[in-house]
Amino acid sequence: MAKNPTPTPTCASTPALSRRQWLLGSAGAAVLASAAPAAQATKTKTQAHIVILGGGLGGIAVANRLHALLDGAKITLIDRKEEHNYQPGYTLVATGVWPVSKVRDRNADFHPPQLNWIKDMVSELDPASNAVVTASGQRVKYDYLVVAMGTYQDWSLIEGMDVNAIGQKGLTSVYPSPEAAQATWASMDAFRLKGGNAVLTLPATPLKCAGAPLKMTFMLRDRLAQSGTLGQSKVTFYSALGNVFGVKVVNDNVLSRWKDLGIAVETTQKLQGIDIGAQRARFVSPEGASTEVPYDFIHVVPPMRAPDAVKNSDLAWKVGPFAAGGWLEVDKATLQHRRYPNVFGVGDVNGTPRGKTAATIKKSAPIVAEHLVDVIAGRAPGQKFDGYTSCPLIVKEGSAMLIEFDYEGRLTPSLPLIEPLQASYFAWLMKYRMLKPAYMATLKGRV
Amino acid sequence: MYEIWLAMNIAYEIALSLWPALLPLALVWAAVMAVNRQKLAQVSGSALAAVSVLVSLAAMLALPSLSQSTLSDMGYWVDWTAFLGMAAGVGMAAAVLLWPVLAMRQR
Repeated sequence: MAKNPTPTPTCASTPALSRRQWLLGSAGAAVLASAAPAAQATKTKTQAHIVILGGGLGGIAVANRLHALLDGAKITLIDRKEEHNYQPGYTLVATGVWPVSKVRDRNADFHPPQLNWIKDMVSELDPASNAVVTASGQRVKYDYLVVAMGTYQDWSLIEGMDVNAIGQKGLTSVYPSPEAAQATWASMDAFRLKGGNAVLTLPATPLKCAGAPLKMTFMLRDRLAQSGTLGQSKVTFYSALGNVFGVKVVNDNVLSRWKDLGIAVETTQKLQGIDIGAQRARFVSPEGASTEVPYDFIHVVPPMRAPDAVKNSDLAWKVGPFAAGGWLEVDKATLQHRRYPNVFGVGDVNGTPRGKTAATIKKSAPIVAEHLVDVIAGRAPGQKFDGYTSCPLIVKEGSAMLIEFDYEGRLTPSLPLIEPLQASYFAWLMKYRMLKPAYMATLKGRV
Repeated sequence: MYEIWLAMNIAYEIALSLWPALLPLALVWAAVMAVNRQKLAQVSGSALAAVSVLVSLAAMLALPSLSQSTLSDMGYWVDWTAFLGMAAGVGMAAAVLLWPVLAMRQR
């Protein structure tokens, strides 16, 4: 029997492959379409002038969302900064995981079309007149205001502190800028080669990314272990509070890990002053007792409050736990100002029980934008924000805990399979590779 | 649903950051696919599977260090599932990428 000749591809075989590919493609498109949030069918028509103060994640995310939701609105953004910084990446820069270039972008690249950008800083808020005043004296009237000005780092409360000296004589801080983060790594890298006495601090005020001081502590200890100098080093965390983190179950977990890792903790010790040249830090207890601590390496976290323009305005809390910091007086569920209904707040400037993280903005910026549109359309704000906050808490290079919680301090993992208090490669991978893309999508108003 | 949309956007942003490398690769792959489309069906499933498995094994060795982590940092089953899933994904992507190349070698 003759062997069958090598089959010659026929026209019929090619369409079959094409049909399979077409069916797979259609199924994929259906999944994509069903997964996307329902698009706004029609934009809300308005001639309103909306002014957004602050060109960070919150301000630009809300600007992009409003651009998509409104037809005819004039949107003005006031911020002098041209560089956009991915602040959640600062701890990765400061601990030698990322290069500094990964936290630097340009604000203009993320602005929505037709945005009116005033490159100036806001010096005064006059909500009774629906106006703001810039540092150069320009008075800008608005119909609606979104305050997204972030926090102010009050270094003046630490006697002897000089931000420009970060990177010198063991002085470090991850917070001020990408350059400070980079200088912090240079100092940490030099310190870990010889070891010594390391001091890390935590102030008593609310702060952005409350996990960052803890991440710095974990990573410092890890770098010392990697370099083989842990044995000749002492790492001590000085907290001005009675704890190290505001969510008790996380606080207890961190303290337990630190005990195992040999990291000492001193509580109710507020950093009052620092002698950079002599490398000595002065701490004070609530009773007024002062302690001088010598260090070879110190990581300083500044006390934080609202920027002056907010703190000195009628938009700040007047009474209650957020008054001292001058934080923006918003309803914690709607993020609408409690006394000026045409004012909203997004991000770190809000006086709410929790939520000074990028993840908070990821969940709250859509709500702020929707609520502003509701108010423009004459509807009451409908959604409720639960205070979602997330902190990928690095415990060593290559491992992290993915902590997510709400206003009540309840752990609220996004995926039910995630164990929040489990040191995890996947949580590390999210921090290392996936959170910046998520941030970018938030910035562009897509998630 | 939100998490699916978020994951898609993360993948999109990662692809956006890699497009200078991805685009030429995609164009070359598409060209080789088109040129060899008549021979694609001649590539055996076992050959593609072998490529996929070999590359997956290599990925398992390389992936942790590429993200500045180690196998000892696998904390629990979610980590292993994600890790093995990524290695398998890399293997399958390699098989798809090499499919037209293997087809080129068919007579």
